[in-house]
Amino acid sequence: MMLDVPSHGPVWDLPLRLFHWTLLLAVLTAAVSGFLMPLNWLNLHLIAGTAIIVLLLFRLVWGFTGSSFSRFSSFMFSPSTVLAHVRALRKGETPHHPGHNPVGSVMIFALLGVLTLLTITGVIVLGGAEKQGVLKALVSYATGSATREVHEILAFGLLALVLGHIAGVIFESRRSGVNLARSMVTGDKPSTEPLTIAPPRIGAALAGLALTTLVIGSTALALWQLPAVNVPHEALDAAYEKQCGDCHIPFHPSLRGRSTWTTIMTTLDDHFGEDASLPDNEVAHLSDYLTLNAAERWDTRAANVFRGTEPLRITDTDFWKHRHADVDPAVFKTKKVGAKSNCEACHGDARAGLFSAQAINIPQE
Amino acid sequence: MRQSILAAALLLMATPIAIAAGPQDAVLANLAAQAKAADVGFSTFSAVDGKTFFFSTHSGGKPDTPSCVTCHSDNVKAFGKTRAGKVIEPMAISVNAQRFTDMEKVEKWFARNCNSVLGRDCTPQEKGDVATWLISQ
Repeated sequence: MMLDVPSHGPVWDLPLRLFHWTLLLAVLTAAVSGFLMPLNWLNLHLIAGTAIIVLLLFRLVWGFTGSSFSRFSSFMFSPSTVLAHVRALRKGETPHHPGHNPVGSVMIFALLGVLTLLTITGVIVLGGAEKQGVLKALVSYATGSATREVHEILAFGLLALVLGHIAGVIFESRRSGVNLARSMVTGDKPSTEPLTIAPPRIGAALAGLALTTLVIGSTALALWQLPAVNVPHEALDAAYEKQCGDCHIPFHPSLRGRSTWTTIMTTLDDHFGEDASLPDNEVAHLSDYLTLNAAERWDTRAANVFRGTEPLRITDTDFWKHRHADVDPAVFKTKKVGAKSNCEACHGDARAGLFSAQAINIPQE
Repeated sequence: MRQSILAAALLLMATPIAIAAGPQDAVLANLAAQAKAADVGFSTFSAVDGKTFFFSTHSGGKPDTPSCVTCHSDNVKAFGKTRAGKVIEPMAISVNAQRFTDMEKVEKWFARNCNSVLGRDCTPQEKGDVATWLISQ
């Protein structure tokens, strides 16, 4: 048995290896920021996700234009070939594949597929639930919020696949005596037979990348520029801000439904335990403003989750309590916050009714 | 001619008095007129009574707000805080000259807060006493 002396390029070409390790870094960043970090680190998650999208698009092009073992065609095996490989392994045979073996290729396609679905669902969640990104004009809160569940399930699925991938690499490295992780660094993988490796088709690759960038990039840019629908952007009514803002922050009208605002405005003499009476003409003006701009008009998260009529106090709602369960109760007693109802002490965009993840900043004393 | 000189002289003499008189005088005069209308025996406002009223724990109002100091804090030269966490400007004139210069505002907040703390309107005497004390601070 003679090892092939490489008179050709590496089994794993340099762009493929860079893709692999950059993808690892991006997935690690996305996983840590998504699973472990506080919500206001969302931008890091978005940067990682964007990097993954770019890498996947590169991989798509490279799957048709890279050197032999980067091409999808080199590791597209029929199910019967995959099963045959498993049977051979069970019998203790040592089938050799210079690139991905049939079982490994299933893992590669599974990883690429789940990652693709993760990025697509991620962009849908961002557009619908956060009203940000390229789909903010097209996806409803309901769709975005439901897709979030799918995104999370896929994320756990990816974790399982990554563990399987690592286990597979360890197993195959031991079985074949070739350190596969090292191969993905150096690109070299000893082969029992002479190899002919077709070089990358650089021209086609560049053309493919240019076309992908142009199509995806211009589409994304065009979508990005569409304004989010049913998201408030007007400043608060001046009289509302003045009259109601004397005692508490002027809660954005989208935080309560029409009937709740009507209840509040007709019971100002006992307003959450205080007399907050106003002259009739003021009450009429504010009631008109509040009911016109109440939650029913908007599709933000806040409008969706606080639309209900009970309980009257926002901080008594299940959603509010659930979302603030991790906040140290002492925070609400600090000088800068003072009360649970002082939303804008931590939510920089509370007055606009947006409550975006990135605008959360809990003041430190 | 002589009359207009006299008028000008009187105006000049009156001006320093008007300046020396505080910008809160109009509010106090208004409250005094209300007190006279309510009680023919009314003589004057008492800063001492106003201070006692301000610090007292009252009954009859809403349970969360038994006293003026609940929100205004027990230091009238310091910032208070509403139950919703919003800062309230100090009440003492020495640190907040805007207090008791706008009768409409004075009546609005006495109406709301007396009802919250005592469960009734304050009498003109009570309002005048509290205003007199805070203006002296």
